[in-house]
Amino acid sequence: MQTLSLSQELPKRFTSFFEQQFNNYKNKADFVAFKMISETTRDFTVRNGNPDIMHTFHDIGVLIEIMKDGHIGYGATCELTVDGIARAFTTAEKMTGISSKYPVAKFDMSVRPKSIGQFKSQRQTGLDQLSAAEIYDFLKKTSLKLKVSDKIITASAEAMVIECRQKYLSSQGANFEQDFNIIVSAFSATAQDGNETQTRSLHGGRGICLQIGSEFFNLDNTLADCEQTSREALELLTAPNCPTETCDVILAPDQMLLQIHESIGHPLELDRILGDERNFAGWSFVQPQDFGNLEYGSKMMNVVFDPTASNEMASYAFDEVGNPAQKKYLIKDGILQAGLGSLESQFRSKLSGVANSRSSSWNRAPIDRMANINLEGGSHTLDQMISSIENGVIMYANRSWSIDDYRRKFQFGCELGKQVKNGKIVGTVKNPNYRGITVPFWKSLTAMTGPDTCETYGSPYCGKGEPSQIIRVGHSSPYALFKNIEIFGG
Amino acid sequence: MKNYIKKFSEDLFATLKPQEQLGLFLHSEDSTFIRFSQSKVRQNTSVHQHEVTLQFNKEQRTLKMRFNLTLDLAHDMQSATHLIEDARKQLMQMDPHPQFIAFKNNGQSETFKKVDRPADSEIPGLIYDTYKDTDLAGFWCSGPLRQASINSEGQFHFFETDYFFLDYSLYNGPKAAKGYYSAETFSMAEFEAQAQATKNKLNLLNRPTQTIPRGLHNVYLEPMAMAEIVGTLSYQSLSQGAFNKGYAPLKKLKDKELKLSPLFSLTENFDLGYSPLFNSMGELSPNKIELIKNGELKSMLTSTTTAKEYNIETNFADISEMPRSLEVRAGTLENKDILSKLGQGLYLSNLHYINYSDVQTARMTGMTRFACFYVDKGEIVGPIQDLRFDESIYNVFGDNLIELTKESSVYVSTMTYLKRDLGAFKTPGALIKNFNFTL
Repeated sequence: MQTLSLSQELPKRFTSFFEQQFNNYKNKADFVAFKMISETTRDFTVRNGNPDIMHTFHDIGVLIEIMKDGHIGYGATCELTVDGIARAFTTAEKMTGISSKYPVAKFDMSVRPKSIGQFKSQRQTGLDQLSAAEIYDFLKKTSLKLKVSDKIITASAEAMVIECRQKYLSSQGANFEQDFNIIVSAFSATAQDGNETQTRSLHGGRGICLQIGSEFFNLDNTLADCEQTSREALELLTAPNCPTETCDVILAPDQMLLQIHESIGHPLELDRILGDERNFAGWSFVQPQDFGNLEYGSKMMNVVFDPTASNEMASYAFDEVGNPAQKKYLIKDGILQAGLGSLESQFRSKLSGVANSRSSSWNRAPIDRMANINLEGGSHTLDQMISSIENGVIMYANRSWSIDDYRRKFQFGCELGKQVKNGKIVGTVKNPNYRGITVPFWKSLTAMTGPDTCETYGSPYCGKGEPSQIIRVGHSSPYALFKNIEIFGG
Repeated sequence: MKNYIKKFSEDLFATLKPQEQLGLFLHSEDSTFIRFSQSKVRQNTSVHQHEVTLQFNKEQRTLKMRFNLTLDLAHDMQSATHLIEDARKQLMQMDPHPQFIAFKNNGQSETFKKVDRPADSEIPGLIYDTYKDTDLAGFWCSGPLRQASINSEGQFHFFETDYFFLDYSLYNGPKAAKGYYSAETFSMAEFEAQAQATKNKLNLLNRPTQTIPRGLHNVYLEPMAMAEIVGTLSYQSLSQGAFNKGYAPLKKLKDKELKLSPLFSLTENFDLGYSPLFNSMGELSPNKIELIKNGELKSMLTSTTTAKEYNIETNFADISEMPRSLEVRAGTLENKDILSKLGQGLYLSNLHYINYSDVQTARMTGMTRFACFYVDKGEIVGPIQDLRFDESIYNVFGDNLIELTKESSVYVSTMTYLKRDLGAFKTPGALIKNFNFTL
């Protein structure tokens, strides 16, 4: 008989215990829900052909939700014993009772629907079929391929291979399970010559984020990509700095992911608009009355919240309180339509929202998060866009990001730029940066490549919340042309 | 927890075979988080989280395996022995680790600390009563946090502390002032005084808002604003390993091409008392490591792994080579003289979302945030609209650093990504000329 890995064995060991414990407690408050998250991460890095980071993490725990007098409080524990669950429930019940005297809002049961179902990431072969040795071998070969020259001082290949299972039971009758297979990877080369150092990576640091099985590890394709990445790092060593001027900018999809994330995703989160995030992540320039009215960008701008997309990082059937996931337009023809608000935020704000109540793991309460936020494609080819530019720069792969707490004034930097003069690419520039203000920037969007050119990336590290949480997000985008943007170099 | 982890580790060590070594690193917390908005409770979360990282060494190979303790010994032994058995099979399919470090016995220690603080059950009422006349957003964090580093060579280091902080901001419409409270002993008088000070600062924002043009302005950075800049500087910039791998914003300082101001000194100072001396390997750091002294780079944080790779001396930094207890040396500027010395310029309470815009020139970009004011003739005129800066550390802490304050502030780490962070940061405020604002 084949021995189960711990990632398979742990949920098996604790599932019936979890169900029993839920049944013991489900009638002990106005509302009770138990969520179990079991997640195994294999996080491997091979540097210059040698093992560097070889970590595995088996994370399992339970989040207990309790509603008392309309206020929802939480207890979280990895002590998966009768005593452990009792301690977590008792502590949470006591604090929830006290907190319910000073609540921001008094919810009703509509914020915890009775959802039943299952979800499984689309994949050909499950990640549980992939051995550590296979991952290591792939990373070793790709890392060695990145080292095309002695000037490459660091050639790094990384992969986080994640198997995550969620199970949610509530006293309302919700009962759903979700099974995610996720891969996050990065391949980067750092070139150095004298005082000049440049890093180039395949679509930015850990920008490659997908729900996918072990079929992701296609060695031939990745080796070719790694060689190209490394040669571009060498090219950057002798490239001139990006000029300082105002000109046209084409952003590649691996930079657009960040542009969408910071200047569309975050400002549309309803909990930010409601003020919950003011002390940490920030507020938003978007006001409740802007929905349905605000001209967010040019008329060609269509942005969707789409947790139903195949293989994208943040796809699911239900958010973490059981709201069924559906695709929804956030911005249609440039006009702001809806916010990223969970059932709780919708209840408080009376605004339209989406299924986005999510938490980083069993030890944090769910809050409004992005999932997959995608910019729909346009009608140009990349060649057409380039040929329309008299003076501009194409920027690839994010490396620096900063935006204010209202999500207005941003400054982003990229790894590599291609200078365009009179409709043709004339050379490579290093240290390309640009800055702008959200709404005027999106109004300067003048062309996008077609839907078939959209590329899908994401981030495993979107930070927000108090206590802080990271969340996985996906972003799909075409190449996009923006007019009259302030750019500068190093 | 101490007795549990001791018994658990002893039972595990008994399962090892010849030529095998095992290390354990424990992070354990029983935390209360209460999140506030409008001075009321948005979410309360109680967390019982106990992670142990097993590091299994065999034949120059090493694998780290983290899992959560249930505190049921039979369950936890089952998980741990399962992982070790997997590691025995997996490791031999991988190459030897070129920076392999065998465990050794780095001694034994036990430290227990506990602050005096109100019961968690009192906090929702306390915050509401203190701030009901305003609009508070933020969070309270309290409870015990434990770390331990144990290995099969006989090492046993255990550190437990129980502390609290309130990290918040107050609002009058879009106008906001930041507050923070943490102490060895909770004092109601002190707590109320800091609350009043934050409310007073919020009131200053009622003056007419000033529009400040882009360009160079003299600034005063409050300690919290300094903490944001030095916090960004401390992320990998002081790491010897990152430096050697090509991430080197301080290269010109290290190569002695450039110097910072003689007023600027940065020390990893464990005497602050908020972090254990031992790292995850159980190695004991010196109590103080001078990183930058009088503007010159003296040392970088160097783990034993980096030391082995590049054949240099270790200073027993943790594997991440991130500072754990950083202190910026104070200066001579009296708080009462800050505004008059600034004369005309910007008084910046807080900064936000700082990131390197150009690593090679140590240039950082970020935003002003919360209560920031335009000052003229040594007096506060009014709040400013948020500005973006883009400025090199070589300017900020170089020739443009005019003076540091005599008084410093200590901030217990409020980082809570994945788990609570242990550590603190001590810094004065700083008067800086020609700070570059770009948007």
